[in-house]
Amino acid sequence: MADTVTLEVTRYSPDVDSEPSFELFDVPFHHDWVVLDALNYLKDEVDGSLTYRWSCRMGVCGSCGMMVNGVPILTCAAFLRDYPRGSTIRVEPLQGFPIERDLVIVLDDFLEKLSAVKPWLIREQEQPLEEGEYRQSPEQLADFKQFTMCINCMLCYAACPVYEHDQSFIGPAALAPGQRYILDSRDQGKEQRYPVMWSDDGIWDCTFVGECSTVCPKNVDPAAAIQQAKVESTGAWFQSLLPFGRS
Amino acid sequence: MPNPYRRPHSNTWWLRRLPYTIFMLREWSASFMALYLILLVALVARVNDGESAYQSYVEFTQKPIVIGLHGVLLAFALLHMVTWFQAVPKATRPPRIRGQRPSGRVMIASVYGLWAVASAVVAAIVLVG
Repeated sequence: MADTVTLEVTRYSPDVDSEPSFELFDVPFHHDWVVLDALNYLKDEVDGSLTYRWSCRMGVCGSCGMMVNGVPILTCAAFLRDYPRGSTIRVEPLQGFPIERDLVIVLDDFLEKLSAVKPWLIREQEQPLEEGEYRQSPEQLADFKQFTMCINCMLCYAACPVYEHDQSFIGPAALAPGQRYILDSRDQGKEQRYPVMWSDDGIWDCTFVGECSTVCPKNVDPAAAIQQAKVESTGAWFQSLLPFGRS
Repeated sequence: MPNPYRRPHSNTWWLRRLPYTIFMLREWSASFMALYLILLVALVARVNDGESAYQSYVEFTQKPIVIGLHGVLLAFALLHMVTWFQAVPKATRPPRIRGQRPSGRVMIASVYGLWAVASAVVAAIVLVG
């Protein structure tokens, strides 16, 4: 008998089911297979109705994030060989999000929140093209570069118990890009982002669990972005108390 | 017709994974620090009340249950210190030195250094002064 591994996969059909259930599948074990390969095998060879998102298979697109044994991870980076042999590998949709079908989550909430922080360069007035590009030193770039690596995989949301508990929390993968543009020397849109990011549903909802940064497949540190924004927000508040401070 | 399923949020979420449990212990550690502060204030008040009051407080602290409590307080104090010192590089953006911001390790080492200096000063005041 071929070497196999057992997957316990969330199944949910919104037309039929009132709540999700788990289904067990045996898949061949290959040393170089990741969990996504096992899911693709299931879809191609066992049950074509199994539904999940994936695209690049190389940790770039950020589509195949799921909970594997309770930990948010890109399934294209979760090797079967790294899980204890003989044990069942549980594959679930990302924690904290509504389940659309099987392993697919509803993304709408995240996309709205990401838009709310305006993750693009804002200029009070665009300078004419003939004046050239907006120049930036390597030191200025270093201040925010790591935050540009986000691939919107939402593993950080799935690792965040605050978001799971309180869906109004803007969340790590929206606050980090917001802070990324605030730190960008070319940007002039701070005042537009502060009311969103510094709100009760923004940085101040974060209790600094820190797991958002731990699970990030791109080594982005959203927890750092949020804590640094808290320091900046607190400084601005103290400044506003001073007679010569900003309002 | 879409019918997304929203999973219930469990009150025992913090037992689901070790990092969440450590986070909760870190948060609770603040309460234990507050308790130690109360004991410290009580000590100062007893000293202020005179020698016999101070002696009765010393006898109180020598009870096994109070010694045990201090052991728990010490463990939480260490957890509080280590976890928050580890968090320093995330929460701070120190000024650049020769064009570079200090690394996380340097920042953590710096706060441990400050802690050592502060402890030495307190020890000097208590033991010498």
